[in-house]
Amino acid sequence: MIIVIDALNKHRFGDLLADMYRLRARVFGDRLGWEVEIKDGMEIDQFDRLDPAYVIGLDDEGHVVSCVRALQTTGPHMLSDVFQVILDGEPPLRSARLWESTRFCVDTQRLAGNGNMKAVSLATCELMIGSLEYARRSGISDIVTVIDPVMDRVLKRSDNAPYGYVGSTKPMGKVSAMAALLDCTEERIGRVRAFSGIHGDVFADEDAVRALLDARRAREAGMVPAAVSQVSQDDIMSYCEDQIRAAETPEDRAAALALAQVLARKAQAPRHAGKLH
Amino acid sequence: MELIDLSSLPNGEGRFTTFLDQICARFELDHAAYAGTNPIAGTIHGYVNYSDDWKSHYVEHGFHRIDPTLHMASRSIAPVDWRRLERDENFQKVFRNAGDFGISDQGLTIPVRGPFGDIGMLSVTRNCPLPEWDKLKEHIIGELQSVAVHVHDTVMRSDVLSQVLRFPPLSTREKEILQWTAAGKSQQDVGDILGISHRTVEVHLRSAREKLYALTTPQAIGRAIALGLIYPL
Repeated sequence: MIIVIDALNKHRFGDLLADMYRLRARVFGDRLGWEVEIKDGMEIDQFDRLDPAYVIGLDDEGHVVSCVRALQTTGPHMLSDVFQVILDGEPPLRSARLWESTRFCVDTQRLAGNGNMKAVSLATCELMIGSLEYARRSGISDIVTVIDPVMDRVLKRSDNAPYGYVGSTKPMGKVSAMAALLDCTEERIGRVRAFSGIHGDVFADEDAVRALLDARRAREAGMVPAAVSQVSQDDIMSYCEDQIRAAETPEDRAAALALAQVLARKAQAPRHAGKLH
Repeated sequence: MELIDLSSLPNGEGRFTTFLDQICARFELDHAAYAGTNPIAGTIHGYVNYSDDWKSHYVEHGFHRIDPTLHMASRSIAPVDWRRLERDENFQKVFRNAGDFGISDQGLTIPVRGPFGDIGMLSVTRNCPLPEWDKLKEHIIGELQSVAVHVHDTVMRSDVLSQVLRFPPLSTREKEILQWTAAGKSQQDVGDILGISHRTVEVHLRSAREKLYALTTPQAIGRAIALGLIYPL
């Protein structure tokens, strides 16, 4: 499933963004050996501070398995600022209906852990479908995307070959990088869908994703939702009465009475009620 | 009705509201508004074709300071349907009484980012049933994107300093394609000549057009010749 996170909803998905930055650190820092800045295991650059949009793929448990970042080419973006070398010193394309996509990656480690390359291909196609449809819905006609030759081959093999390139392939870290052009037409989306067999709506509901993430975090923390609200005032009163009845010394009885008084006072202030048991 | 290129309209503040009226007529919209900030000139620009009643109500209540169709939408890269902002309490505050002024809370904001930290927003509204709105949106959103950038670039270039600074350079490929197009070659021909796909030709041509602040290819060619970027034939 795919979720789009941008400046309007990122306050709800800080955990998901952190997972994405960690995936990017593993892929672009470790595997591809690009000169990216990694801090606390997360790869974050200056363009992440410009409120880009992220298209993120999740598995059924809400783990980030793929991601890509989109920026408008009318404003600051990577090809205009840090990837000029790919363009052989030429100025970049600038158009209202052209977006730039960068940091496209898939978590091959998680997906192909058991040698299942099909899962990698599916996740790649799902992310492609999600990002092309998101762009298309936004009135975008074309995407210029910075990719490495491996991703270029993946695109070609999944009936999603770029229709052109700008600039030329340049060495970058352990691999090289190039700028490819993709149209956001229904034809292309249809081809990727046919190739991958993904036919339904790939986008997940925002609230459903939030609930899924919260449920998983709770599970991982070994936390069962506390039953605080199930302790009724009657339960408390009968507990106090039991304690008073069972008191064997005057001191015990006084303590039990004092407790009953404290609890009764707290029960009258509802915002403290949760701390009662 | 075809949109008139903004630079061909007589100078003066009136031309922007005229352009907004044209946008409404062409795209079947009720109202349109543009707001933008130019950090180089240190100016804020706003043009609307809302009724004067709504304008004064809006300003009296200081809505421009809280309106999420401006403040939130400007941080998106994609057009923001105002439905996305409904949960925002400020949205409710601004639009609670909008209906009394004939203003619909069904709208769309297209954010534009420029090269110098400048941002702009073209907002449009249309009062109609939801399915119709969704259909209209899908139909016009691509062209609205182009129009939004056109308005923004023109407004941002309205001061002298920006006119000098703000000329995105054309790449060799863009100039080459403009030159062949000026020679009367079709996109397919140009693609064959240069050994690239016709869609690559198209995307470069569109970029060249927008860098020259032109809405049509003939306009772009005229300007490119005037600027000495390509040769007249």
